[in-house]
Amino acid sequence: MQRQEAIDALCEYRGDCLSVATMQAASPWKDAGQSAQDHVDASDCMGSAASLGLGLAMGAPDRKVMVLDGDGSLLMQLGSLVTVASLAPSNYYHFIFYNGLYQSSGNQTIPGHGKTDLCQVALASGYKKAWKVSSKGEFLEALPEIMNSEGPVLIEIEIEREDGPTRFPGMPVAPQIKALREQFT
Amino acid sequence: MTTANAQGETPDAVATSVSAKALAECIVDLGITHIITVPDTVQKTFLAYMEQQDKVKILTVCTEDEAMGINAGLYATGHRPMMVIQNNGFYASVNTLKALAFDAQVPTFMFVGQFGRDLTKDSNDNRRRGVRMLEPTMQTWGVPYYRLENPEDIGVVEEAYRKCQEVEGPVAVIIGAPTGQ
Repeated sequence: MQRQEAIDALCEYRGDCLSVATMQAASPWKDAGQSAQDHVDASDCMGSAASLGLGLAMGAPDRKVMVLDGDGSLLMQLGSLVTVASLAPSNYYHFIFYNGLYQSSGNQTIPGHGKTDLCQVALASGYKKAWKVSSKGEFLEALPEIMNSEGPVLIEIEIEREDGPTRFPGMPVAPQIKALREQFT
Repeated sequence: MTTANAQGETPDAVATSVSAKALAECIVDLGITHIITVPDTVQKTFLAYMEQQDKVKILTVCTEDEAMGINAGLYATGHRPMMVIQNNGFYASVNTLKALAFDAQVPTFMFVGQFGRDLTKDSNDNRRRGVRMLEPTMQTWGVPYYRLENPEDIGVVEEAYRKCQEVEGPVAVIIGAPTGQ
């Protein structure tokens, strides 16, 4: 599936979710109109999306939290899966955009591609459920069950390689944090 | 390294224990809601003391990078978190420190234990690099820090917390000696 198709599918089910996005998911998620008051980019700290989302999920237990993570990003702090599973927020939805590549730095293959199964790693860490989807239709079919499941859950979204220029939102994170905090204080 | 006597004291120490109870009272008075920790040997009695109370939630995590991410998420949702880590963990977290504590302007209040310190020497004169380089590393990054070397220094905890809210970034209290009961 194309990355944009996955973003479009997520948009149909995001409701009033809080969200975190990182790397190449961040720009299309922003373009898709996620409210600036309900979102934080994990920017310039590759690997931190999972833990940033975990803080949001624990801090706002009445809101669902979507974490739009990358495969290479997750590998940077793979232990986060254990921490998320250990603290076990039921409102935590972890989406991994999986292309097996470090796209931003020139499409180098990530370690473990074709060998490591992130869904199995998540389940072995203690996530409640995990899905692997490879087409938009399959993703749209699974999303109602996913978003009605008790978290933490992980969804590996297989996306196609992209060779165009990489994009970053260019939105500083500090105002996002401040906007979010304003609605909670 | 000088060792403690049978009473648990180090006779010629320049840094001495601050009680876990005194630290806990400071933390509760400041309204801290969560302690996020990669456990630190120097602060083990403090962590054990905090585990026995129910005013502040204790979150034990795998890495200091994660601790900073969780700290940012909790802060963004209106809470007052802090971190309890050790010197080696501070070194491990610098990329996240840069992005979330500095660039994202998240108040990141942390107790950093001087693991491995020879208590008879100033930390900057210690043989162990992990001890000796902590303050220079914080100076290089512009992290404001306060030394908690003896029980009479306890006021720096509140001072450091206020500073952290004011600068909207990282501020450390360096725990110079193992915490007491």
